[in-house]
Amino acid sequence: MLSKLLFKNQDKKQLIIAMIGSFMGITFLITSIHYLIKVNEFGEGADILGPNTIIVQKKVTTSSSLNLAKTDFSLQEIELLKKEKFIIDVKPVISNNFDVSFATADPLVPKFSSDVFIQTVDPDFMDVNTTEWNWSIKDTIVPMILPRDFLVMLNTFMSAQGIPQISDELAKDIKFKFRISNETSEKEYIYCKIIGFTNEVASILVPESFMKYGNDKYGNLTDQKITQLMISGTESEFGLVEEMLKERHLESKNSQMVVGRLKSMVGTLILVVLGISIIAVFVSGLVLIQYAQLLMSRNSYEVRTLLRMGYSPKKIINKFFFYFIKIFGWISLIGFGMFFVFKYFLDSMFEEGGLYIGTDMTLFSIYALLFAYLIFGIASFMNAKKGIYKEF
Amino acid sequence: MNINFKSIMPKPLESIQHSSESIWGREVLLEQGKKIMLNASSGKGKSTFTNTIFGLRKDYTGQLLYDNRDTKTFSPEEWITIRKEKISVVFQDLQLFNNLSVKENLQLKNNLCSVYSDSEMKSFLEMLEIDNKWEQKCGLLSMGQQQRVAIVRSLCQPFEWLVLDEPFSHLDKENSQRSLKLINERCKQLNAGFVLTTLGDDYDFSYDHELIL
Repeated sequence: MLSKLLFKNQDKKQLIIAMIGSFMGITFLITSIHYLIKVNEFGEGADILGPNTIIVQKKVTTSSSLNLAKTDFSLQEIELLKKEKFIIDVKPVISNNFDVSFATADPLVPKFSSDVFIQTVDPDFMDVNTTEWNWSIKDTIVPMILPRDFLVMLNTFMSAQGIPQISDELAKDIKFKFRISNETSEKEYIYCKIIGFTNEVASILVPESFMKYGNDKYGNLTDQKITQLMISGTESEFGLVEEMLKERHLESKNSQMVVGRLKSMVGTLILVVLGISIIAVFVSGLVLIQYAQLLMSRNSYEVRTLLRMGYSPKKIINKFFFYFIKIFGWISLIGFGMFFVFKYFLDSMFEEGGLYIGTDMTLFSIYALLFAYLIFGIASFMNAKKGIYKEF
Repeated sequence: MNINFKSIMPKPLESIQHSSESIWGREVLLEQGKKIMLNASSGKGKSTFTNTIFGLRKDYTGQLLYDNRDTKTFSPEEWITIRKEKISVVFQDLQLFNNLSVKENLQLKNNLCSVYSDSEMKSFLEMLEIDNKWEQKCGLLSMGQQQRVAIVRSLCQPFEWLVLDEPFSHLDKENSQRSLKLINERCKQLNAGFVLTTLGDDYDFSYDHELIL
């Protein structure tokens, strides 16, 4: 009967407008948060390098070929790069300062041998299992990450020998060995094993401890120059990294830049949608709160009389509070349902366009919905409390 | 519950000359169970008296004590308990819900303490000859009928005091006496007192006290 008294006579036009606004805001809020996360996750795990990470070197020009310009990085230059706001970390890529050759060491695979170039990067920049990516002098096998192009070359060789080509997984089971040596004919053979592949690095990657062992034992005594750096940039600001590379005459592998640039662009667009959605949810929430105030004001006689009859203010507050919480709950539920409809169509569109982004649900979008609901609940309760006690 | 007026002077009435017998500015004790008539002409503060005693107005000097407790110290929750269980009121403007039926208006009050069944409430209406209005919206009733509904509503709760602010202003003598009889029976049953404000008519009832404003 209380509900009949307090909610029967109301002009629902404003309520319906606020509900539509909230519904649209909620739907776009969940959708934009979901796809912002999915776009940022895009490409993660596809390569051994971490997300938003690139390897850069100085542009090689005619003057640098003639030794008139430096192609290595000084410590001061590295420090300057670290100070840029959009750069998370900068670390040098260390190369071998000794001779290395790489050969097959498996009776089932034809002999193949080649001089190679090995490098090591800080493990923080890599998506790799740290227990696997480890080597100490007691270990008999060195883990390594092979450039995918190298495997293609190996398969071309296999094909020419009339032997079936090998897949990524099979390659990981084949035994290889490194021969490390120096100019004084000291040499050593160490078995090695592929644990992963990379599209972004042109050399074979080995653990830092192995590189240090080789450089200490077989390296020539001249100071090693830093010619390549690993840079990790902040999410959605990859455009600034690209700008900085141009200014400093640095270059990187194009594919790394394209993915980073695309992610930044799409991420920025989705951020704009997210901003608009937050404003929409906020404004429609305010309209709902304002509608609640209007309703209480229209029913001020009823509220005042109920309080005079002995009805507890808490009971009346709860009536208004639960009424609006239920409305927002339904809006959230319908908005959540609409998100799944959007998700179905958007995921299909991305898939048709060859973009295989994850289709699983993101927890953050659910948290955002719960957060919006919580904020509205608190605001609604405070509003009802203020309105009812005013009539006491 | 005894109600003690200790030199109470409502601020809007400060400028008016009050007689030496007026309750305003004097110490007056309303003892539980007494039947009191409050007689005053218009503008002397009958509704102010009702609103003050019910905690709706606090713009006065002096003290209003319920069993020796200053009502200005009461919390909203304490006032709610008083309005639900200790003091019932029939306001001059009745304060009914015009969009609700007579039945719903009565049930809304009765539901707070579940004092009567629907048939008992209907029997009160029958005594006041408006039982045929049970399902009718209050807004469609005459003022006299509405006054009788408001009187029945005020009885649908436990109380120690019943304050009636000109409750019979739209009733004929017969209906006034019927209503007063019903009020008196309910007060006897609860060992409660009542204060009836009037413009001078005593409705042929013998009161314990007569107060003047």
